[in-house]
Amino acid sequence: MGENKQLVTITVNGDVYRLSVGDGVGEIAPADTLAETLRERLLLTGTKISCDDGACGCCTVILNGKPVPSCTVLTIECDGADIRTIEGLGDPATGRLNRVQQAFVDHSAFQCGYCTPGIIMAAEALLEENPHPDEEEIKEALAGNFCRCISHYQVLEAVKQAAGEGGE
Amino acid sequence: MKNFTHIDAETLNQAAELLSDKQKHARLIAGGTDLLSVLKHKLEPDYPDTIVNLKTVQGLDYIEEDEKGLKIGAAAKLGDIASSPLVKEGYNALADAAKSVATPLVRNLATIGGNLCQEVRCWYYRYPDEIGGRIKCLRKGGDTCNAMTGENRNHSVFGARKVNLSGCSQNCPAHVDIPEYLTKLRSGDIDGAAAILMASNPIPAVTSRVCTHFCQMNCKRKGYDENVNIGGLERFVGDYILKNSSRFMAPPDGESGKKVAIVGSGPAGLTAAYYLRKQGHSVLIYDKMEEAGGLLRYAIPDYRLPKDIVRKLIEALEHMGIEFRTGVEIGKDIPVSGLVKEFDSVFLNTGAWKRPLIGLDGEEFTTFGLDFLIEVNRWMEGKIGRDIIVVGGGNVAVDVAITAKRMGAASVTMACLEAEGEMPASEEEIGRAREEGITILPSWGPKEILRDGKDIVGLNLKRCTSVFDEKGRFSPVYDENETSTLHGSSILMAVGQKTDLSFLGEDMELEVNRGLISVEPSTMKTSMDKVFAVGDVTTGPKTVVGAIADGKKASVAVHSFMTGEPEGDPAHPLGGLIAFDASAVSHSPCARLTERPKEERGLHLEDSYGLTWEQVQEEAKRCFNCGCLAVNPSDVAAVLIAMDAEIETTERKETLEAMMKASHCRLVEDGEIVTGIRIPAAMKEYRVGYDKYRVRDSHDFAVVSVASAYHVKDGIVEDARIVLGAVAPIPLSQNSYKIQIARTLVRNSLLNAK
Repeated sequence: MGENKQLVTITVNGDVYRLSVGDGVGEIAPADTLAETLRERLLLTGTKISCDDGACGCCTVILNGKPVPSCTVLTIECDGADIRTIEGLGDPATGRLNRVQQAFVDHSAFQCGYCTPGIIMAAEALLEENPHPDEEEIKEALAGNFCRCISHYQVLEAVKQAAGEGGE
Repeated sequence: MKNFTHIDAETLNQAAELLSDKQKHARLIAGGTDLLSVLKHKLEPDYPDTIVNLKTVQGLDYIEEDEKGLKIGAAAKLGDIASSPLVKEGYNALADAAKSVATPLVRNLATIGGNLCQEVRCWYYRYPDEIGGRIKCLRKGGDTCNAMTGENRNHSVFGARKVNLSGCSQNCPAHVDIPEYLTKLRSGDIDGAAAILMASNPIPAVTSRVCTHFCQMNCKRKGYDENVNIGGLERFVGDYILKNSSRFMAPPDGESGKKVAIVGSGPAGLTAAYYLRKQGHSVLIYDKMEEAGGLLRYAIPDYRLPKDIVRKLIEALEHMGIEFRTGVEIGKDIPVSGLVKEFDSVFLNTGAWKRPLIGLDGEEFTTFGLDFLIEVNRWMEGKIGRDIIVVGGGNVAVDVAITAKRMGAASVTMACLEAEGEMPASEEEIGRAREEGITILPSWGPKEILRDGKDIVGLNLKRCTSVFDEKGRFSPVYDENETSTLHGSSILMAVGQKTDLSFLGEDMELEVNRGLISVEPSTMKTSMDKVFAVGDVTTGPKTVVGAIADGKKASVAVHSFMTGEPEGDPAHPLGGLIAFDASAVSHSPCARLTERPKEERGLHLEDSYGLTWEQVQEEAKRCFNCGCLAVNPSDVAAVLIAMDAEIETTERKETLEAMMKASHCRLVEDGEIVTGIRIPAAMKEYRVGYDKYRVRDSHDFAVVSVASAYHVKDGIVEDARIVLGAVAPIPLSQNSYKIQIARTLVRNSLLNAK
C-alpha cells in the first residue's frame, strides 16, 4: 500500500532534474526540503534560507505558478513540479535582468539584499497573475516577505514600476 | 530535519490504516506548513518514523456548492478558499478567515483540514522536554513565558490548561501543586489552599520552616525579579492547619479493620501514618525516643523549628486516632518479626542516626554533630567560652555551628570540602551563620587531629580541589601540600549520618544494600511480604520533603496491599483550566519573613516571624501561575462554528461545534482523518463576518477574534451566532483588557450586520 518514491523529477527554470531518493552521495533524503535541494544539490544558491520556518519569505520560489516558501516543502513531494527560482528570471546568455529585477536595481530596493530574491519571486508571481495590481494588492502579496533593513518603501516603488505604473 | 520514511497515500483508507499502524509510528502531512516546523524543531516528545502524504490522494481539494450548501475538501488550500468566488459570494466570512491565516506564501501550501487539526498550543511554548520536564520558549529561549512577563502579549491568552507540572511543583519532591493553592490564597480561600497542600504534604507547618524549598529554586519569577516566597506562604497555611487541626486532621468516618505498625516517627512515618489513618486504618507508631518526631524533634534546633510545632502536630495526629508508643525500642523491646506477625503491614522508618567514621587518627575524641544537637545542653556544660571547630558543610553542620555559637562558644569555625556555592547547606542558613560571626572555610578537608593526649588542641586542614568526579559521585581530591592549622578545643563532626540496621535482628531476612534497606522505588516495598520501608533508612540522609514524598507513595501502595483495591495514582492531577492574572506582571520584591534582631536570638525562640494574612495575599498575587498558555490557532474554526459547519472524517460526521466541545487539545483521534467540510445552504441567508485583533497584520495569531452569523429580517436580528476564538477555550473572566477587545469586536460585528 502507498508508494515509497525512488525517483523525483522536477523542472527548475526549464531544466529537468531526475533526483534519486536515498542516502547515497548526491541523492535526496525524504526529509530534504526544496530549499535545501535547490541550494545544496542543484547549487542554485540565489534562494536563501533564513528562518527555515515558512515565516520570513526569503526562500520564496514559484511552484506550479504559486509563490511558496521552499523551506516548507519536501522535495520528495515535488515530483512532476515546475519550479522557478531567482536564477530563472534573467537571461543567462545576455545577463539581461527581467523587469522586476531591473526595477529593484533602479530603486535600490534592498539594503543587505538577503531577503531580496524572495521578495522578487513573490512580486514576479503577483505580476504574472495580476499584471496591474494596486498598492493594497502589492502589499497583500508581499505580506509574507520580511525585511529587516526596511527596504519596504523602495520595494513598493519598484514593484509599481515593474507593473508599468511608473513609480518614482 | 531528521529523516523519516515517506509514503504517498493513494486513498484515504490507506492513509488511515498507515496512521493506525502503531509500528509505523506515522504522522500525516497535508500542507506541511505546521508539521515541518514541528519536525525541524523536534517540538513533540516523539519523532515519527513515517510521514504519510495526503496530497497524493486525488480529489480531496474541491470547493463546490450544491443545493445543501458549500462543500470543501480537507486538502483545499487556504489561498484557494480565500480567493474562491463561490466562497466569497455566499460565505464571505470563511474567505476572510482563510485570508487572515499566516501569510499569502503559507496559504499557498496550507490546507483547511490541517488548519482545523492544529493542536491547541502556544506557538512559542511547545511541549515540555519530557526528560528535563521543562518548558522552553521556542522563539525567545529560556523557560520563562515572555508573553506573561509583558512582552508583546499577543501570544498570551486568557488562561490555559497545563501540559506539565509548573516549575515549582516539578522541583518539589512531593510535587505539591503550589500554583493551585496560591490561586486559592489569592481568592481568600485559605481552607481551599490548606486542602490542596494537605493532599501532598500533611506537615506543612514543619516543612515551611525546615525545607530546602527546591520549589523556590525553580520559580519562573526568579528570572523576572525575585522568586515567590513559597515557604513563607506555606508557613502561614501550615500554622492555620495546626490551629484548626480538628477540621483538617479529623478522625476517619469509619474503621477499615486493618492494622499498620510504623517503626520510627520521623517525617516519612508521620506522612504515611496520616494518609493511612485518613483511610480508616488503625496506625500504631513506635519510637525509641521519649518524644515522637524523630530528627524533627531532636536534631533540628528550636530556633528553626520550635518544638511546640512538632508537639502540636503529634497531638493532631493522635486526635485522628493514631497511637504513639514512645520509649519502645523495636529490635530490643519487641522484635520486628513480632510486629510482622501481629500487623497487616509494617513500615520501617528508623532513619539515619549513626555516626560515620572518616578514618582520622584520634577521631574518637571528636564529637558527632547529631549527638551534640540531641543533647546540646549537657554537652556544652563547662565548654562555653572555648574555640569550636565544625567539620561539614550541610544544614546539620550549620545548625551545629550556630547552636554552639549561641551557647557561648568563643569562636566557631566551619571547614567543609565543598567550595563556596557548592555547599549543601541552604544560602539562607550560610548567611545566618556568617551574620552570627561564624567563620566558614570552604574547600578545606580535615588532615590531622591535633591532640595533647586526650585533649584536642586543633585540626590540620588540607586543600580540597574537587569534591565530585565527572559522574557526580563523591570522590574528593586534595592538594596535600597546601595546609592550614585551626586551633580549638573541640571538633564537632557533621559529615553525614549512617543507618543502623542492627534492630532487624537475626531472623529478618530483609534485602539490604550498603547499609540501606532495599525497596521497590514505586511502592517502597521491601523484599519481605507486608514490610515497607521509608525515609532515610532506604536512601541515606535525605531531605524532609523527600521523606514526605516517599511516605505518601508508600501509603498508597500499602492501602492497596491491605485492601486489595487497585493502587491509586499518588500524583496530584494537573487540574483544569487556569486563568492568567495580569496583576502578577508588575514588578515587586519578594515578601521576606521578619527576622528577630541578632541580640535577641537564642536557642529556643524562633528566629523569624511569619507573614501576615495581608502579606500572604499580596505575595500569592506574585505567582505567575505558570502553565503553557496555549493558543488555539485556527482562524477558520471560529467561522465554521458560527456557520454551523459539519465535519466529515474517516470515522464520523459531526458538527465542528460538537467536536470542539468534546476535545480540548485534539480535534480528531489517532488514525482519524478529516476529509471534508460542509456549510449548510441556510447560511447564505445569514450575514457573516470575521474580525481578528492582532499586533502585526501578517503572521500573528489573534489576541482575540470573533466570527459572527446573523439572520436579519426587516432590520431585526432574528438569530445570532457569535464565536470568540483564537485562544484556548477559557472563560473570559479575569482578563479585562482582552474582554474589552472582545466587546469591541462583537459590537463591530453587530454594526456591520445592519
